[in-house]
Amino acid sequence: MPRAVRGLLIECDPSIKSMILKYDEERHDYIVEDLDDENHLVIKESQLQNLKVRLDQDLDEKIMQLDESESE
Amino acid sequence: MAASTSRPLEYLEGLPGTTFYKLYQQPSTALAIFRRMLPDLAKCFVMALLYLKDPLPTADLELWVQSESKKQRDNAISILARLHILSKTRTGDNVLAYMVTNPFASSLRQALVGSEDSQSFGVFSQIPGESQVSIADLDDYARQQWEGVMGYMVGTSAFSGQRELNLSKGVKQLLQAGHLVEIRDRRVDITKDGFGFVLQDVNTQVWHILILYVESAEAIGMDSVEVLSFLFLLSSLELGQSYEKKHLTSNQLRTLADLADFGIVYQDTPEATRFYPTRLATTLTSDSSALNNPITGSLTGPAGEAGGSGSGFIIVETNYRLYAYTSSPLQISLISLFTNLKYRFPNLVTGKITRQSVRRAIEIGITAEQIISYLHSHAHPQLRKHNAGHATSNTGGIPPSVLPPTVTDQIRLWQLERDRLRATAGFLFKDFTSLAEYQAPCQYAAEIGVLVWKSDKKRMFFVTRHEQVAAFLRSRNQQ
Repeated sequence: MPRAVRGLLIECDPSIKSMILKYDEERHDYIVEDLDDENHLVIKESQLQNLKVRLDQDLDEKIMQLDESESE
Repeated sequence: MAASTSRPLEYLEGLPGTTFYKLYQQPSTALAIFRRMLPDLAKCFVMALLYLKDPLPTADLELWVQSESKKQRDNAISILARLHILSKTRTGDNVLAYMVTNPFASSLRQALVGSEDSQSFGVFSQIPGESQVSIADLDDYARQQWEGVMGYMVGTSAFSGQRELNLSKGVKQLLQAGHLVEIRDRRVDITKDGFGFVLQDVNTQVWHILILYVESAEAIGMDSVEVLSFLFLLSSLELGQSYEKKHLTSNQLRTLADLADFGIVYQDTPEATRFYPTRLATTLTSDSSALNNPITGSLTGPAGEAGGSGSGFIIVETNYRLYAYTSSPLQISLISLFTNLKYRFPNLVTGKITRQSVRRAIEIGITAEQIISYLHSHAHPQLRKHNAGHATSNTGGIPPSVLPPTVTDQIRLWQLERDRLRATAGFLFKDFTSLAEYQAPCQYAAEIGVLVWKSDKKRMFFVTRHEQVAAFLRSRNQQ
């Protein structure tokens, strides 16, 4: 019998997807369904904001930035 | 033109048919809508049909347009229908036909050929011996008031210690009601919508404000039709002329006083017997202003050069450095929203567009496109000239860009950096037992346009709305 599940379809790069998968491993509180292709998955609607903040933080830490100094 | 017309057009389309009937009684309204809201093809249709005695069969009208332009024709006809200008009837021998609806047709004819004793286009004030206010003074007044409103929104008075213009309570309430600003602890905070608003061109801004005004007018018991048709009347007046107030109704007088606060009209004193429309009013429904926007130039350019050749004052270099030749506190605080400003001189500020500064802007709700379009519309003539010269040497079918492409691309990339994922709310359908059971509803979902993603291998699909698909599944199960 087919079922319908409420959720948010997330479209992103494979790298971002693997980060989300990693977060989910901790407590399994993000993902509703992993869609098994490179850049899609369905997550809980309530977790979007939380996820965005967490991704931004981690990306800021991990990605090296070019020199932002105001040298003239 | 499309950008600045879309909002008033959207608003008008939302009005009920009876409102249109009342609006179109005024020749000035019919003419303003004809001039400003219609695409060129629609104007052709109206002009061709206007003086026909009988409705024109639809097949005949369709012949006028070549088959490859069918899309434009359908678009024109759909806009005309939505504005209740064109209606479908049947001719004597029962053929489907188009005609221009009546209050609109008669009003437009009246507007075109003139008529005896109509006050629809305002009445000139002719008081001998009284001096007229000059156009330059009107522009000054409009600029001062409009920048005052903008300044109030972005809080320039705190920025530069400049004296604050005395804005009336009505103006402040309107900005608040339109969610352009929020008042927290007696402090004015601009909202996301507000940021979008201040970066738009002046014509779009004026329309935005006016529509807010019409919406709020209804709430306080003024007739929106009366206010709207008065706005259209204002837009058809002549700059530099004064007009009699004694023909206006009490609601219109009230509107007039409110609009004076925005700099859209000018009167010597609130009790004066006449008023002047400013450039903000007279360019509302004219086509030409949308393109080169004289008001933006005269409003935002350095005060000494108002009306001069160049309207822009911003130079952006390929190394992300930005030079803005302005002393206007409003412009400076706008630029500082997305730039790290470094030095300020009497007529020049310089700074650098950085990843940080752009991200800061994006966090408070400004989009990359808004930043780029702001920079573009205020680009210094030198920048335009320079890049136009370059374009001839390296054309590749790409239209010449005024701004350095490296900078615009980078601003977009900085925005993308923040949107690493795209989320669509909806429902995942899964656990189908056979491929056939999966395919039918999936195809149905695609047909009704709710399908976002599907996987044949996993027999799953994702839709934005589930009601219809669920009903479809149920009806199949019952069979």
